[in-house]
Amino acid sequence: MKWDNAKGVFNLGLMARVGIAVLILFIMVGLPTLAHALETNEYRQFMGLDSRRLIWFLAQMHLFFGAFVLGVPLFAVIIEIVGWKNKDPKFDKLAYEFTSLLSVAYATTAAFGGLLAFALFTLYPTFMGYMAGIFKDVMFMYALLFFGETFALYLYYYGWHWLKSDKPFSPTVRLIFKVLGLAVIAFSLVFAFGGIGPEMRTDTRSFMVLLYILPTGIGLVIIKDLKSSHIFIGILLNVFGTAIMQLANSWAGFMMSPAGVDAEGVLVGTVWQAFENVLATPIAIHRMLGNLAFGGLVAGSYAAVKFISAKTPEDRAHYDWMGYISNFVAIAALIPLPFAGYYLGREVYSTSAVMGNNMMGGDFSWTFIIQAMLVGSLFLISNYYLWSGMTRIPGAERYYKFIKYILFALILSFAIWLTPHNLPLSAQEVGEMGGSQYHPLLKYLGLMPAKNAVVNLIILATFFSFLLYRRGNKQDVVSIRDQGKTARIVISVVGLAAIALVAQYAMTLLNLNPASLDLPADRGSFISVMGYLLLFECVAGLVAIVLALTDRGKLGQYLYLAVTAFNVTIFLGVWGFVVMEKASPVLRNVAVAQFLQLISCLVLVSVIDFFLFRDAKSVGKMQWGKMTVRSQYALLLLTFVITMNMGLMGFIRSGLRGDWHIFGIMRDTSEWAYTPSNFVMTQQVGAAVLLFMIGCAFMFWLGGIASGDKKD
Amino acid sequence: MTHTMPKVFGFLLVVLGLYLWIGYAITDLSGGEKKSSGAVDISPEGGEAIYWGRGRCFTCHSVGGQGSAVRGPNHGQFGEKFPLPMGARAVERAKVRAEKLGKPFTAVDYMVESLATPGAYVVEGYKNEMAVVYAPPISLSLKEIKAVIAYLMAQGGDLDMEAIDTKPGEVTAQFYAKISAAAEAGGGDPGKGAVVYEENCTDCHVLNGEGGETGPELTGIAGKGLKFISAAVLQPAKAITKGFETHVVVDKNGRQTVGLKSSDEAAEIVITKANGDEVTIAKADIKTITIDKNKSVMPDDLSEAMTVKDYQDLLSFLMLQKGAKKGGEEKK
Repeated sequence: MKWDNAKGVFNLGLMARVGIAVLILFIMVGLPTLAHALETNEYRQFMGLDSRRLIWFLAQMHLFFGAFVLGVPLFAVIIEIVGWKNKDPKFDKLAYEFTSLLSVAYATTAAFGGLLAFALFTLYPTFMGYMAGIFKDVMFMYALLFFGETFALYLYYYGWHWLKSDKPFSPTVRLIFKVLGLAVIAFSLVFAFGGIGPEMRTDTRSFMVLLYILPTGIGLVIIKDLKSSHIFIGILLNVFGTAIMQLANSWAGFMMSPAGVDAEGVLVGTVWQAFENVLATPIAIHRMLGNLAFGGLVAGSYAAVKFISAKTPEDRAHYDWMGYISNFVAIAALIPLPFAGYYLGREVYSTSAVMGNNMMGGDFSWTFIIQAMLVGSLFLISNYYLWSGMTRIPGAERYYKFIKYILFALILSFAIWLTPHNLPLSAQEVGEMGGSQYHPLLKYLGLMPAKNAVVNLIILATFFSFLLYRRGNKQDVVSIRDQGKTARIVISVVGLAAIALVAQYAMTLLNLNPASLDLPADRGSFISVMGYLLLFECVAGLVAIVLALTDRGKLGQYLYLAVTAFNVTIFLGVWGFVVMEKASPVLRNVAVAQFLQLISCLVLVSVIDFFLFRDAKSVGKMQWGKMTVRSQYALLLLTFVITMNMGLMGFIRSGLRGDWHIFGIMRDTSEWAYTPSNFVMTQQVGAAVLLFMIGCAFMFWLGGIASGDKKD
Repeated sequence: MTHTMPKVFGFLLVVLGLYLWIGYAITDLSGGEKKSSGAVDISPEGGEAIYWGRGRCFTCHSVGGQGSAVRGPNHGQFGEKFPLPMGARAVERAKVRAEKLGKPFTAVDYMVESLATPGAYVVEGYKNEMAVVYAPPISLSLKEIKAVIAYLMAQGGDLDMEAIDTKPGEVTAQFYAKISAAAEAGGGDPGKGAVVYEENCTDCHVLNGEGGETGPELTGIAGKGLKFISAAVLQPAKAITKGFETHVVVDKNGRQTVGLKSSDEAAEIVITKANGDEVTIAKADIKTITIDKNKSVMPDDLSEAMTVKDYQDLLSFLMLQKGAKKGGEEKK
């Protein structure tokens, strides 16, 4: 059989995917009925290998490739939409190039998925028998969704040129799609407010509305020609992919926070309860954002390699631009990731204090220090890449002077983030510190309020870098008054929506009864102070809007940024310690208050910035391709670091169960029932990263062959 | 691209090397790898394996300079705050407990109490937040708990294996009984189970002379065994106690009343419904009266009203109800 460029690769992907879906279905049908949870577990080995490490490795590889396969279509469709709306073929071509990277990755994901499933079923038969018994229906749906995703991807990639016409459909057809779309949107609204569907957690409901129903409705509404139909297929591809991820996450979540079963693991509730366990959706949200950042950076590493090996200025310019877009996507996903992580961590604590303590103060406390190093590096290197990018922007030298301050804020925050609460010390060292195992000053930096404060500062600093980058070659601001109604309406509406986000939480805090947090009434002031602070933030936001509408937008931006920086890092940073001492249950409200103010600030300042510099006079044209090779290695380093971090986070999430397959329900009675050390983790994850990168190199090489064939 | 790849992978190997070094250094700094403890003997060595392994004691405690956790008290001799190691410290604490409780308290009693009821004595400067070690997710068996006590008593104290294992004193024996009952019930926390009981059961059941009478008395229910109690909570219709069957009464107007027959006089009967309402029906008005063997007056949706943890806590509480003397004091 002749190997025929990307088509062959895709056919392989299709066959592998469908074949494995059918095999998994076959295995499930062939399984015995529900195995009892507390039966003695059976463990097997393959060629004498450590079964746990084998499963760990296969799961890691499946997740690396899977994250890439799920992440890339998310932004490929968005880029395609940008190109479609602006009628810019450059974006369309870029979206196609991103999609072309999926080909081998898709088949490899399926292959590792199949291998993982076989390994699990054969090496851990009791555990998998139990899981298949509980999640039989969900597993069937998972396997069936494979088909949907496969066909959507197949159609999306191969239909790109076939479905590019912008010749409008007949008015009747357009009307049908519009009505259908509006009906789906209406359904999503009813669903969002709990009118339809089973009882479910707010986060699950929101997740399904925002990622499945609403995009499908909007996708239908925009259909008017073949090109928009193609975009709709892309949306469906993401819906299928995300649904597959959510279903699989429900299993991982169930293993940590079982629901719907009794103490012996017998299903006494419903499958929905088991599916929608406490941690399922928080994991899904975290993974979703992680996939987006990961997909962006892996695509960025492709661009970096292509840039480094480019022979012509045109190629260098193209791949420089591609790398920039990839990094932009990654930063956009990285900014909310710490909050998603915080939410997940909070829910872990809610599930089990033992698991929570083990996470932050037990087996994984040091792993989190490594994680802080990696995530801090991600932000630092992303900023470096942005600053390097300013060298290709004529006029950006005006802003170089700010870089040293941003760098200082980042390094300071980074240092605080990775300061542990305490260190293993000898009795003599403790004596030298006055009899305490805590350092008199550094002990404060190891606590959550300090860490939350600096995470917010890191995000603000990164956002500031982005603002500088954006206005690099812009001469001066454009009058918002002169931009007509649209600018004023958009700034007002978006700004007010952002402020409303903060205001509603301010009201929640002001009306919060301390008793609901198991606090005496006299501790109410610790909550109300935050409510008033948020109202102050709202006033600052309103002033910023008024200033922007009266052509003092820059002042409005600086004012709002300064107030937000003060509130979230200084005031709430210190307040967090006060609350921790006097009213610790309020600490979680502090984190939410920080998050909402930060998001409101990013949204409002961005929208003002957009109009301030819309069609602003340029100092000079962007010189794509004028980047140092060093900056491309920074892009590669970002990919390596995020990949290592993903492996590390998987280790923590899975390891939190300790010696339980299913936390509190099914004990791991194998010889591997202990938490490996951080060194073992770095060995295991390091090996998986190396193999994944080799796989990526192979993918890029094949992609090069495919594009070479097409050029021929 | 062919020339670029070696450089890229060289760079990757450097980064991975750094990653490995960090993993190695941090493992070295934090006390090395903690392997699976497997089956252990009741001995200080066995306890050490549990302490630093699946018991997860190291999550919150350190022993002298070993370990870095400070959430709970250090169990070794450490700085001015902990001048005595745990074994010797337990002797001092036992005196405090004896004085407070007005009864003899040995060092072993103190150690066992701190694991069975951690909130009974909280060391100054620390919170009452210790996990129940015989409940999931830690779920130590009584044997493993004894091993941990042996390990801690060996830290500068007199190791009396008889007092720990074969001939425990009265106080220790009581705590062991509590741990055994709780462990048998899936490792729930009986203290929390009492709260679950109060919220869900006390309106309908008498326990030690208190509670409603709609359902059967639960004093001494532990004697019926875990399986019976478990089924009675989750599937009440399958474990209906004689005399508490569900009666379905249809009167001559076709009205149906379902509940427990709480009184049967010559002229009338009283049906107590699931919500506690009592309905008196004249026998002359009754068209049919049948027993529904597939239905219990007790709610069958308790499994949805309780979390798995609540359920385990409740079971452990009920497993301690081994009968009562007249004054309501538990039988020994």
